[in-house]
Amino acid sequence: MNFRKALAAAFLAIFTTAALAQAPAAPPSWQQGRSSEQASSPLHPFAPHMTGRASKDLPVDKLKVPAGFKVEVWADGIPEARSLALGDKGTVFVSNRLAKNVYAVVDKGGTREVKTLLKGLNAPNGIVFSKGTLYVAERHRITRYDGIENNLDNSGEGKVVIDGLDPQNQPGHFWKFLALGPDGKLYYNVGAPGNIVMPAYFQAAISRVDPKTGVAEEFVQGVRNSVGFDWHPQTKQLWFTEHGRDWLGDESPSDELNVAKKQGEHFGYPYCHQGDTLDPDFGKGRDCKAYTPPVLKLGAHVAPLGMRFYTGKMFPAEYRNNIFIARHGSWNRSTKQGYDIYRVVLNENGKVMKSEPFLTGFLTDEKADPPMWGRPVDVLQMKDGSLLFSDDYNGILYRVSYSK
Amino acid sequence: MAAALCFFAGDVALAADPQLCAACHGPEGNSVIPANPSLAAQPEQSISIQLFQFREGNRKDPQMTPMASNLSNKEMNELAAYFSKQKAVAPSHKTSAESAATGPKLAQQFNCVQCHGPALRGQQHIPRLAGQQYEYLLAQLRKFKAQKRADLDGNMTSAAQGLSDKDIEILVDYAAGLSPQ
Repeated sequence: MNFRKALAAAFLAIFTTAALAQAPAAPPSWQQGRSSEQASSPLHPFAPHMTGRASKDLPVDKLKVPAGFKVEVWADGIPEARSLALGDKGTVFVSNRLAKNVYAVVDKGGTREVKTLLKGLNAPNGIVFSKGTLYVAERHRITRYDGIENNLDNSGEGKVVIDGLDPQNQPGHFWKFLALGPDGKLYYNVGAPGNIVMPAYFQAAISRVDPKTGVAEEFVQGVRNSVGFDWHPQTKQLWFTEHGRDWLGDESPSDELNVAKKQGEHFGYPYCHQGDTLDPDFGKGRDCKAYTPPVLKLGAHVAPLGMRFYTGKMFPAEYRNNIFIARHGSWNRSTKQGYDIYRVVLNENGKVMKSEPFLTGFLTDEKADPPMWGRPVDVLQMKDGSLLFSDDYNGILYRVSYSK
Repeated sequence: MAAALCFFAGDVALAADPQLCAACHGPEGNSVIPANPSLAAQPEQSISIQLFQFREGNRKDPQMTPMASNLSNKEMNELAAYFSKQKAVAPSHKTSAESAATGPKLAQQFNCVQCHGPALRGQQHIPRLAGQQYEYLLAQLRKFKAQKRADLDGNMTSAAQGLSDKDIEILVDYAAGLSPQ
C-alpha cells in the first residue's frame, strides 16, 4: 500500500471538508449573482445523460449542414463525451468532465471500438496529444501518458507534469481545457470560482506550463472561463472562447471570441463584460478601455466551448483557416439559442469578416425545457479533412464531411 | 440508519429485470419500505443518473452498489424508462399542519422549487420529492448537509448548507405528503 498517497488523500479529504464547512450558507454556484427579482426564475442548467443515449433513438436526421456537406453519427456509447484529441495512428481520445474516464475510439474500417482508456480521474476534461504522448488536465493536475497508442489496453499510471492546480477545491468552473501551444507549452484555463465573484490571483486566467520542467506561469487574465482555444495557423496567436456571466438578462452580456496578442493581457472579468459593459457591482470605478475587448461577440449565454482552426483540404477553399466553434448553450436565457457548430470567417490578416451557424438542428423548441436533444462540446479536424464533434448530452461523436 | 433487508435472486444476468428492483423498491417501484425510495414516476434521467452514480462508486450503499455494479448503460436506460412510466401511488405519509403551512415558504427560500419544480415533482435529472418516502428523504437531505452524499454537480450539497435541522424536518415532512403526480 502506498502510504504517502493514502496520507495525501486523507489530508486532501480533511482540507476539502474544512473548506466547504467554512463556506457560508450559499446558493448553488450557478445561482450566484441573481438579483432578488430573479429569485423565482425557472432557468436552470442541464445535466448530461450520464449513461448516454443510443443514436438510433434520436432525431439525427434533423441536423442541418450547408449544401455539399454531410453529417453522420461516427460513434456512440461514449458517456458524457467532452474534449477531443487525435493520435498519430488515428486514435480519437475523448474526455469526461463530471464522470471520471478518458476513452479511446479506434476506427476499424467502418466500425469503431470504444475503449475505456483511463478510469477514476478527477474531472479529466482537458486532453491533448503530441508526439506519442497523451496529456490529461484534471481538476488539480496535468499528467502525461507516453507511448499511449501502443498501450491502449494498458495505459499504466500517468506521470505528473504539474500538480496543485486547485489548492482551494474551488466551486464553479473547476474543469480545465488543455492545448499545446506553438512554443511547446501546455496551455490550460483556471476558471472563476462562481458566476460573478472576485477571483484569486491564479483564477480567471489562462496559464501555461513547460512539460519539460513542470514550471508554470500565468499567460492572460480576466478570463471568466475558457473551455476552448487554438492558435491561428499563420499569426500563431492564441484565440480562445470565453463564457460571459449569467443573470444580466437574455441579451447581456455576450459570450466572447478573444485573441491574446501578448502575455499579461487582461480581458475584463469581473469588471467589464463583452469589452464594453461594466459589471453592475464589480465595474464600479472601472473603465472598459483598460481591458482587451473581444474580436467577436458570439451571442448571449450561447456557451462557446471547443474551437479549432480548419486547415484541411476536404472542405471548399473558403473554409481554410476558418474557425469552427461548438456552442453548448444556452440555459440562462428565457428564449434559448446556440446548440450548434458556429463558423467564423477571417481574412488573411486574421480579421473577423463574418460569422454564422454552420450546423444546426439540436435546438428543437427555444421555449421548451429542455429545448434541445444534443449539445456540441468540442470539434476536431481529422486527417482526411473531415470534422468530428462531440455531444456530451448523449455521448455521441458526429462526423461532418464534404463532397462535390 | 435503518436499512431494510432485501433478498435477491443473485443472478447478475437478470440484473436489468425490474422485478428484481421491486423486492426493495416495491410493486411497480412504489416503495413500501420507509428507508427505500419509490422509483415510480421519477423522471427517467434522474433514475439513470443515480444508477450510474452507484456503479461508478460515487454513491455507495451495501445493497445498491452490488446491484448496479454489473448494469450496462443500456440496461440502466431501460430500467429508468420502465420505472419512469409507472404510476405513483398516493403517499401514506400525512404532513403535519405546521409543515403544510411553512413547508412551501422554505421550499421557495432554499431554492428547492428552482430545480425540483413548483410541485416538487422533479424534472430531467432532478428527482421527484413529492410523495417520496419520508425516512428516505430525511436521510438523504441530512447526508447532503453533512457533505456526505454523492452529487453530480455539487448543487444539492451547496443548497443544503443553509438548512437547520428543523428546516430539514419541515421540508421532508412537507414533501413526503405531497401528491406525486
